[in-house]
Amino acid sequence: MDVGGIFESLWTILGSSQNLLMLFIAVPVGMFFGAIPGLGGKLGIVLCIPFVFGMDPMAGAIFLLAMHSVVHTGGSIPSILFGVPGTGPDAATIVDGLPMTRKGEAGRALGASLGASGVGGVIGGLFLLAILPLLRPVVLAFSPAEFFLLAIFGITFIAMLSGDSLSKGLMVGLLGLMMAFISLDPHTGTPRYTFGQLFLWDGVDIITAVLGIFAIPEMIALGVSGGAMSMVGKTGAKYGMGQVIDGIFDVFRHWGLTLRTSIIGAFIGMIPGLGGDAASWICYGHAVQSSKTPERFGKGAVEGVIAPETANNSKEGGSLLPTLFFAVPGSSGMAILLGAFVMLGIQPGPAMALTGMGTVWTLIWALMLANVLAVFMFLAMAPAFGYLSYVRGSLLIPFVLTLTYLGSFLSHRAWENLVLLTVLGVLGYFLKKYNWSRPPFVIGLILGPIAEDSFHKAMALWGPSFLLRPGAMIMIGLIVVSVTFYIWRTVKANNKKGEGHVAQAHG
Amino acid sequence: MSLRLMVDGRVLTALVMLAIFVAATTMALGFPEKARLMPLMVGVPACVLAFIQVILEARKAGQELKGADQAESTDESEAHKALLLGDRHEEINMFFWMFMFFLGFLFFGFVYAAPVLVLGFLRYGKSESWKTAIYGAIGTGVVLYGLFEHAFEIPLFEGLLVEWFFG
Repeated sequence: MDVGGIFESLWTILGSSQNLLMLFIAVPVGMFFGAIPGLGGKLGIVLCIPFVFGMDPMAGAIFLLAMHSVVHTGGSIPSILFGVPGTGPDAATIVDGLPMTRKGEAGRALGASLGASGVGGVIGGLFLLAILPLLRPVVLAFSPAEFFLLAIFGITFIAMLSGDSLSKGLMVGLLGLMMAFISLDPHTGTPRYTFGQLFLWDGVDIITAVLGIFAIPEMIALGVSGGAMSMVGKTGAKYGMGQVIDGIFDVFRHWGLTLRTSIIGAFIGMIPGLGGDAASWICYGHAVQSSKTPERFGKGAVEGVIAPETANNSKEGGSLLPTLFFAVPGSSGMAILLGAFVMLGIQPGPAMALTGMGTVWTLIWALMLANVLAVFMFLAMAPAFGYLSYVRGSLLIPFVLTLTYLGSFLSHRAWENLVLLTVLGVLGYFLKKYNWSRPPFVIGLILGPIAEDSFHKAMALWGPSFLLRPGAMIMIGLIVVSVTFYIWRTVKANNKKGEGHVAQAHG
Repeated sequence: MSLRLMVDGRVLTALVMLAIFVAATTMALGFPEKARLMPLMVGVPACVLAFIQVILEARKAGQELKGADQAESTDESEAHKALLLGDRHEEINMFFWMFMFFLGFLFFGFVYAAPVLVLGFLRYGKSESWKTAIYGAIGTGVVLYGLFEHAFEIPLFEGLLVEWFFG
């Protein structure tokens, strides 16, 4: 391991006033997006894209990653104080966080969540640092055959992201793949689905597509719901700083749990598609199972706050791994971050293992520093963060719409993108309204070109027998396991539902 | 399929997806062999899935329509209808504003259109006070003109009208 290189990367941040400034700005911005229920990290990245446009690529990447990595730190605030999760994965924190608030221990719960988030984020980063030397030869051994199957593997994870309906999720994923083919075909030079428009020759701009499918529908939905974003009551709980610090110490009193859930979270983050919800609930379950007094959970056990919060932040370190080295995003948030990295001129992929390790280490340091910084910033601005949950949604809509259109224009400096954004925004709204899961769209859009290019290369090199290569067979095995797991999970859930109905009918 | 079913949002969304996939797959048939391989590998199963989805959604919507026709008109169902109507009104209002933002930026550019649109949305779209609307408009102008154009030196889109008239 190049230890000198690793610490040189740390100096890239600490020795540069611009990079440090980006870090200091990113942390409160990320916590802001997390603390306002309904905004979240995905929207945070897309809205910050205009601000990093034209910036030094490393400074821009540090800003976006640092911001994204502390979103869940902010997201735990409304979960604990009001029982309204700031982001989806923070829902698990409510189970014990809210009862703690009701018992008058809001400060302790906030401190525990804050300490757990900080420690989890750092352990997630260390996990990534530790695993990189093992991963590098694996990345370099990948041929087009394995890359094609890796892309297919990523696409099968669409099933995991599909919400209630697998078929709807798959179709949205296939729509993303189809949109990825809009460009000049790289092998024949034939324009595909470009309708004579020059701006489509390089393909659909990922930033515009993501903004259209996510940001615009969220704003329309917010306007339709009357702008009541948080459904939070008029008054929040009062707490003292002593309680917050006591909560931070709780994390170290339960150091075994903190360490275990951080590693579990980072590991789950590495698996594309499993996402934050899975990490926080699995770790919450682990905390209950491993406790000598499981009956305390759900009634205000501090371990019930520590476990999901460590997992929420440590998974970000894990999900950086497939995102940076395989360009296969670990989560939908990472998919958007991937698009932003490409816009900034940082090209994730296996070449990172050869020429981009400095960038990788710098980003890992940024992730860890942001998590530590978030703890101190929260302590300094604790009361203000609580008030963020009261921000009226209707006030945000016009600013978010403006930044959305601005981000779309700046990503390629093409006014035609504004038209594309509007069309996708309308489609995205109806997909949202009628429960068509939207994250698979991004996965499809990003993996489409990788799958197509690798497929043609593998066919040219080995013909159809590329499927019999050892690496390819391992990937096929993984695909089969993931699909079987999904089917097993669905059948099990349906059986449970059936049993519930029968019990209701008899009861 | 009856007209009432066709205008159900769920069926309509599935129909739009089907139309997109059918159009994309049909167009792919005209590409050279290598260029059409992947679009067809994606398009054909997508068409089949979308077709099944249209049938599923139509059946579901049909059953609900039947149930609604048979059910007596109660206070509760009337209140539900009123709620849906209110949502539809808000939906139309939000789409109107989204298109206003789009057209404003497209024809008049960001720096000129954004403050006016923010003011209009806050005051007339969401009935905020004049004070809030004016502060919002000024803030937007400062961010776009002051931060982006001056501090970051990023020239923003000036709008098609400005480009057409002033080159």
